[in-house]
Amino acid sequence: MPDVTLYHWEPNANSGKPMLALMEKGVAFNSHYLDLLSFDQHQPEYLAVNPQGTIPAMLHGERVLTESTAIMEYVDEVFEGPRLMPADPRDRWRVRWWMKLMDQWLGPSFSMIGWKVFVGPAVRDKDPKELRAAIERIPLPERRVAWRKAISGQFGAEELEESRRRVALGIRMLEEELARRPWLASDQYSLADINGFNLAYALPVVWPELSNDELTPHILRWLRTIYARPATKACWAMGRTSMAKRVAILEQPHTTPGQPA
Amino acid sequence: MRTTLYHGEPNGPSLTVLATLFAKEVPAELVRIDLARGERHALPCAREPLVAMSIEGEGPVLVADGEAMTDSVFIACYLDDVGRGPALRPADPYERWQTMTWCRQTIERTAPAAAYLGCRAHPPGAAAADHLGDSRTKIRQAVDRIEKQIDGRQWLMGTFSIADLESYAWLAGMVPLVPEAFAARPRTASWLARVKASPAVARALSLARTPDPAASWSVGPEINRWG
Repeated sequence: MPDVTLYHWEPNANSGKPMLALMEKGVAFNSHYLDLLSFDQHQPEYLAVNPQGTIPAMLHGERVLTESTAIMEYVDEVFEGPRLMPADPRDRWRVRWWMKLMDQWLGPSFSMIGWKVFVGPAVRDKDPKELRAAIERIPLPERRVAWRKAISGQFGAEELEESRRRVALGIRMLEEELARRPWLASDQYSLADINGFNLAYALPVVWPELSNDELTPHILRWLRTIYARPATKACWAMGRTSMAKRVAILEQPHTTPGQPA
Repeated sequence: MRTTLYHGEPNGPSLTVLATLFAKEVPAELVRIDLARGERHALPCAREPLVAMSIEGEGPVLVADGEAMTDSVFIACYLDDVGRGPALRPADPYERWQTMTWCRQTIERTAPAAAYLGCRAHPPGAAAADHLGDSRTKIRQAVDRIEKQIDGRQWLMGTFSIADLESYAWLAGMVPLVPEAFAARPRTASWLARVKASPAVARALSLARTPDPAASWSVGPEINRWG
């Protein structure tokens, strides 16, 4: 039995980050799937592991780790396998800068829209009493607010518009950065790419008017390259819904210009 | 290697980076700018995306060999990698994970609250009151976390680290603004005094040009938009 257990949802977003990092390092782990839409993460069994009720969490022996980006740095440091942080200190700074932008600025904008169109509607049909009870069990007050907003469709027009503005600006930033370098933050595949792919793999599907082969060839090249990696395929095989199953546009060979300058 | 640090008064993120620079003995040219007056936006590197889009707000900029770096915790990690002074992150990977998650909590929860309260108090009433209650709660939570963590130890991570510097830098100015958070918190009080007296922080504070650098604030990270 491996001494690593990962509590995760679908192999995307925050859950997908440590999953893909572990896969890239070749670390075997016990997978413990939590269904976010059934509120598994707020059940007593999981709260005993992570009292904050956030996904993912990792057990390494007796150690409990939370916060997906920090887990990835730990995974890279502690296990053998290809290094996922560059050796150069400035490159490492850039990797962390981009991860923070995605975790704290771009990610919340993506997820506000994702929760409005996907998560909210997916749970809205449940029994209202059951839903209320499920929300009351959430330990973090901020997460309770987020769930209430998603379920009742309470995102204001202004905040959704601001999220759309950030998505458009974030796409431009990613395209410019990937025009400069083969990978997001350095010249090697790193945690920034793992982080970015888990956030952005669906860009050309969800935002085809902003991200496509003509407008953002470097993003498409980058996504296709990561999509084709064996670790990504192994990771996606662990999905149970259609969220991270197949992205047809990423299976097309990359023919348009998109090599870094 | 040519290194230049553009910094404000030794408080908030400028204090973190100045103290780290001194602790790690990294030679650098220090250039004072007035962050509250937006002088950061007049720097030659101001339009570089990783400067312009830094979500730390009006923080310091370190330029090393032409690369302009922002975000105090990550600049501190960089200085920890390149400097010859004692390590400012624990050697054990799990303790390093603790350090990074501690700093993440600080930059995501404490820093926006502290910057908001600091800007609002200096000069008084400069910002709307809508985040007042929530921000004071966040400061109380940060102090509670320190009081618990410091039990039986000198420093937050066991050894003096970036977590001490970043936490002190945002909280030192909160003592007079959220006094109830610090009341009956003896371990936090002695920890604050220890950090202040540490050679690197003392040297950074000696650069102050105002009588109370902890009252010097500029716009910080934005308060979480949702969830």
